[in-house]
Amino acid sequence: MTIKNAMRDHGQRYRPRMACLKKVGSAVLLEMQDPKTGVKSQLQRLVITTIPHAITGEDIVAWLANKFNISAEEGRSLGTMLVALGYIYPLQDHKRLVVKPDASLYRFQTPYFWPAQQWPVEDTDYAIYLAKRNIRKKGILELYEQEQYNHLHKWMNHKWDFIVMQAKEQYRAGKERKKPDRAVFDCQERAYWVVHRPPPGTVSGMDYGLDRLIDPNAEEVTETDLIFLTFLWLPSLSCFLPRVKSSVSIGALVKFVTTHKNHDPFLAQCLPSNPWVTDDVSYWTLNMANVEIPTKMRVERWTFSFVELLEDPRGRDDFRFFLKKEFSGENLAFWEGCEDLKWGAAAGMSEKAQHIYKTFLARGAPRWINIDGTTMEATVRGLKHPHRYVLDAAQTHIFMLMKKDSYGRYLKSQVFKDTTKNAINPEEQKFTDAQLDQNARNRRPSLSPIAIRQMELEQKAKLAASGPVDITQVMSKLSKQGKDAPPPPPPKK
Amino acid sequence: AVPSNIMAKAQLPKNHSRSRNKTRMLFFCLFVVACYRHLASCVGGCTDSLQLRDELRQTRDKAQKLAAANCHHLTSHLRDKSLPEEQRKEMELLWVAFSSSLELLHADMCKVFNMGDIFSLANSAVFVQTGIQGGGSEVAARALSMPDLNQAQSPVLPEGLETQERSTMEQEISQVDHMITDMEMKVNVLRWMVESRGPQYAEPLNSTDSASLALLSMDEEQPGAEHEAARHHSQMLMMLLLLAVILLAAALSVSVVIFS
Repeated sequence: MTIKNAMRDHGQRYRPRMACLKKVGSAVLLEMQDPKTGVKSQLQRLVITTIPHAITGEDIVAWLANKFNISAEEGRSLGTMLVALGYIYPLQDHKRLVVKPDASLYRFQTPYFWPAQQWPVEDTDYAIYLAKRNIRKKGILELYEQEQYNHLHKWMNHKWDFIVMQAKEQYRAGKERKKPDRAVFDCQERAYWVVHRPPPGTVSGMDYGLDRLIDPNAEEVTETDLIFLTFLWLPSLSCFLPRVKSSVSIGALVKFVTTHKNHDPFLAQCLPSNPWVTDDVSYWTLNMANVEIPTKMRVERWTFSFVELLEDPRGRDDFRFFLKKEFSGENLAFWEGCEDLKWGAAAGMSEKAQHIYKTFLARGAPRWINIDGTTMEATVRGLKHPHRYVLDAAQTHIFMLMKKDSYGRYLKSQVFKDTTKNAINPEEQKFTDAQLDQNARNRRPSLSPIAIRQMELEQKAKLAASGPVDITQVMSKLSKQGKDAPPPPPPKK
Repeated sequence: AVPSNIMAKAQLPKNHSRSRNKTRMLFFCLFVVACYRHLASCVGGCTDSLQLRDELRQTRDKAQKLAAANCHHLTSHLRDKSLPEEQRKEMELLWVAFSSSLELLHADMCKVFNMGDIFSLANSAVFVQTGIQGGGSEVAARALSMPDLNQAQSPVLPEGLETQERSTMEQEISQVDHMITDMEMKVNVLRWMVESRGPQYAEPLNSTDSASLALLSMDEEQPGAEHEAARHHSQMLMMLLLLAVILLAAALSVSVVIFS
């Protein structure tokens, strides 16, 4: 390969989803455009002339449905895929890459502009294309194209004279052709760039995820690899692999699936509607972390296991509220502190560990937790040289304590019953096509992760400030009060 | 007539003759590469034919000759250590432009080669109905009409067998590949040090037919062309109306003055 490719390649030239392009191109499209057995073609009438080889959307859908023996709806989505990949382009409404099953016209893209796996689309070509459009009519570039152009001008500045000159030359060479051909070529090029540099707010059919290091079309395992695997590598590993009976592991899988199958957005319905399908984000807003009233499905998930309850922020809030009522919130607070230590930044680790020790573990600490002697000894010894996992043993102990004791009581408690009663069950919402279009247009980016993190930190600070009261504090307050005044009611916060 | 026309339109930097020569050579190279791209876009379409492939081959040969000449000149100049700074900067600009055009040519050649795999002339039923009606002959004529900088160009008759042409093409592609590699090996041009001197936006050429082309293409992004004409007309009408009213008022006032 050339220097150019090697420099930018880093070996990552295989784009996985694009392996389908070969099949689509050579198989489907060549049959489609066959003048005898393919899609019926018509003339496109323009102001001055007519251009042949235009096909209507309904013909495309009918041909596909006929050829592959599928329903019209499936034919339509297959046709939309062909358009989204760039094999067929619409003549009207060129920015929307869908197949409309009516008389709107389409045309086959020339093979030069077909998407190919082995050639990634070059920015140089894009810059030349934008420059050419600007030559043809000044100021015609849209806002996003303008931004791209400026961006490319900054990053490819060394080539810019070349780009401008080449754009002029291509424009002039194009003018040599006959007018209808020029119009067709312009449409082809424009369609190519709509596919590969989609306007903002549209979904690109070319999204393919991460690049891969191996060619998905190449042979999988070579002879030498097989030998290496079977005789050298696997035997040495097998001594150390943990073993579980398949009946056990399969049983666990089956249990997981049966409990969760109604909660999976693929297998069951996603109420009120799946945001990825309908572009309506009410599902996400109803299930946000700090929402007041959770959904019924979410509450049901909390009953599956203790881990589910703790992982869900809303569930954890509910649990914390319950524990506050029972005056045993120190367990959860300690657990959260340990999590913070484990996953937090390395900078303040020793301070955090000391703080946790003073708050929870030391004798006479304000929120003393009840762990057994050996664990306590081991933890205190470890705290002399604190590291991330120094509180692991204590955390596991507390976790099991909460799971065996508090969790069961929580599920039978009034708090949980109230939450279940108030939980909402959203209705399924169906959208008409027009509403779907409007949803697609109103797509907005969600809250940035920075904003979400800040909200979390604020909440944590609020929690820490309004220090929840535990039994030891209440007892110590009572003893301080003495017998002069009647014992004050436990402060409600 | 064609070459001189194009020369007049080209923007050539006013420098001393040696570098102007280089710029001219580079310009021709770009010119042919652009034509090659237009021809390549017809491959596999309904106008693909022996003639198109032949034109492609001729254009390719021409491009390679120009590329070799350019490469030789630029390399020899840039390896000359005694080159003054100003000239070196210019050479580097030309160098970057030339290597980019070589890359474009290489990419186009690879594409044409691969498309030749799928769309072989023997089985012309698979050619895609793209709506193109004319061939690329006008573009090819434009490409081949450029003055040849290295003496005579012998017009070779097309070989009958496609396979032979394919193997030749494979060779040519690897040749261009080697040329690029060689260039990179021999001369070290720091691309981040090269600054472009031209404008960011290409100047729109005086094209009277761009408006008619706009009418030809059925896109909604250009309703402005037609609307502007209509707006212009309505403006003219308003001006005429205003003039008429003013004249009427003047006539009336004059008559009042006379008859009072």
